[in-house]
Amino acid sequence: MFYRRWLMHYLKRPVVTSFPGRSDPDAPARGPLDVTANALFRQSLTLRQLDGGSCNGCEAEIQLLASPVYDLSRFGFAVSPSPRHADLLLVTGVITEAMVPVIRTAYDAMPEPRLVVAVGACATEGGGVFHGLPGVVGRLDAIVPVAARIPGCPPSPNDLLAGLLAAVGRPAPTAVAR
Amino acid sequence: MAERVTVGRREPHATDALFDTLGKMAHDGTALLHAYVGAQGLTLVAAPAGPGAPEELVLGPGPFARPTRTGHQLFWGVEHALPAAVWHHAGRRHPVRGRGLHLMPLGPVRGDVSESLAYQLVVLGDEIHQVRLRAGYKRRHVVEAMAGAEVSSALAVAERVTGTSPVAHALAFSLAVEHALGLAVPAADQQARLVLAELERVTSHVGDLALLAASTGTVAAAAEWLRLKETLLRFQAALTGHRYLRGVVGPGGHRRPLSGALSALPALVAAVRQQVDGVAGALEATNSYLDRLHGAGRLPEYADGAVYWTGFVGKSAGLRRDTRWDAPYADYGALTSDLAPVAVNQPDAYGRAWVRVGEVRQSLTLLSRVMEAGPPAAASSRPPARCGAGVGLGRVEAPRGRLCYRVEVRGEHLVAASITTPSQLNWPAVPLALEQRNILQDFPIIDASFSLAVSALDL
Ligand code: SF4
Repeated sequence: MFYRRWLMHYLKRPVVTSFPGRSDPDAPARGPLDVTANALFRQSLTLRQLDGGSCNGCEAEIQLLASPVYDLSRFGFAVSPSPRHADLLLVTGVITEAMVPVIRTAYDAMPEPRLVVAVGACATEGGGVFHGLPGVVGRLDAIVPVAARIPGCPPSPNDLLAGLLAAVGRPAPTAVAR
Repeated sequence: MAERVTVGRREPHATDALFDTLGKMAHDGTALLHAYVGAQGLTLVAAPAGPGAPEELVLGPGPFARPTRTGHQLFWGVEHALPAAVWHHAGRRHPVRGRGLHLMPLGPVRGDVSESLAYQLVVLGDEIHQVRLRAGYKRRHVVEAMAGAEVSSALAVAERVTGTSPVAHALAFSLAVEHALGLAVPAADQQARLVLAELERVTSHVGDLALLAASTGTVAAAAEWLRLKETLLRFQAALTGHRYLRGVVGPGGHRRPLSGALSALPALVAAVRQQVDGVAGALEATNSYLDRLHGAGRLPEYADGAVYWTGFVGKSAGLRRDTRWDAPYADYGALTSDLAPVAVNQPDAYGRAWVRVGEVRQSLTLLSRVMEAGPPAAASSRPPARCGAGVGLGRVEAPRGRLCYRVEVRGEHLVAASITTPSQLNWPAVPLALEQRNILQDFPIIDASFSLAVSALDL
């Protein structure tokens, strides 16, 4: 029965990271962000991730945003299975030629206002170690306008949280449950 | 030097005839793999004589594995080849057509957070009748990136083939280069390699179990697995400076020493074991979880002997194949002699989850054995200068199964490389498992029970 374990967790302290209100001593420090601040979304925000040719490292870190340690939903963020319901598109990976029309279609399907965030060294640095290979486009801003770039290979979930908050022009909350 | 056998592409009917002959000759997986490789116009590269099985195979890109321009070009391995081999055993395969059958496209943007791969599901009401995979959306041409590159930059590419198992890739690459150039590795580094490889296996399996629990709606269990994964990732960051252990393993010895956090490993192993026992034990008593796994995505029996399933897909079908036992590398020979690969004869979603829980426990045992024997010296050795030339083969058991690298090295440069990833071998099992009278609601569960990497399929 999982209910017993589940109920027992209510008796314990939350495990949520103190980041971004306070620094997180166990997690690696983040790199500089490149953000065009947008104060478009004040309340909830729906994300959609799109893999443009990644190694699965960035996806693994994005999946961890839903873990109790990072708990994306405390900021009103949620992940959507469809770009049609998404406000923000997280694009990972070197951009391959085959994915260019897919990215464009997904972007066109998103309702206005919409934002695109490039995640990881592959998407922010023109393909990273895969730069210049056949079929690797590497430039996301040639396809869709990019509002923010979150560097790192892969960026840690803390970097992702900071980048997402900055991309929607929200100040980092000062007090976070710990 | 390796012997290269190139077989030209044949027409489909010739493929069938070939399988006919070979099917009569041997029902053994290796022979059919040979046949399938030949029929698909790939290059079969005979391995140079080395440790382990003599006729170990590495699939190289053949004349038809050209750079794909669009995602609509079908990937050879999945769309036609291996299922064709399997269908030969079950009778000829025809495209399914009929009243009430619908084609349901899914992907390449699918699921919550997932890699780009398109499924085409032929469904009748809720029941899945036929599945085709369309891959090739995310080919990054890793093999081309390695050919002609310096060993150090090829290693950086190898670590990014599958981002969640960089140690396995770096280790297979390093073993291949060491084999080619005859480099020796210090004993301390051998031990540390084992520690890193097993840590990676635990982390990867725990992450897979989290996805599986989430797909069955057991969100509390998924949260516990994810939290455990985060604990492991933070330890890995403290140990090596990278959450996924990149940048340490290299040909001839470590590129970077392990940090003092290694002394905390026994405590971590004990804590992880307690947590795994707790969560896995509670899930074993949760009917809503078990009901959805038992019988979901069962691999048909006729597929067993035909294809070389590897890793937990093979082990859940009762195949005790594991590179750590079959061709020991690093320090596995001495440490695993009294253990056996975890295997069970239940090739469904439950069996695959069961094998992963068993492997996590086994890896924790291996980790505590290494630490009992005295922790590996933290000092890094300067890797020896690389000179000479040769061809080498490296095989490791990655978290998802057997991984092979074959490299041709000349001095500091790589002349050519070919890779066989476990995901390449196991992806054809996914359509097979889905088509066994499963309904659409089972799709996410079966998908998560395999949790194969698309990045290692598209290469
Ligand atoms: S940025 Fe790094 S982790 Fe992310 S997809 Fe690229 S290689 Fe993988």
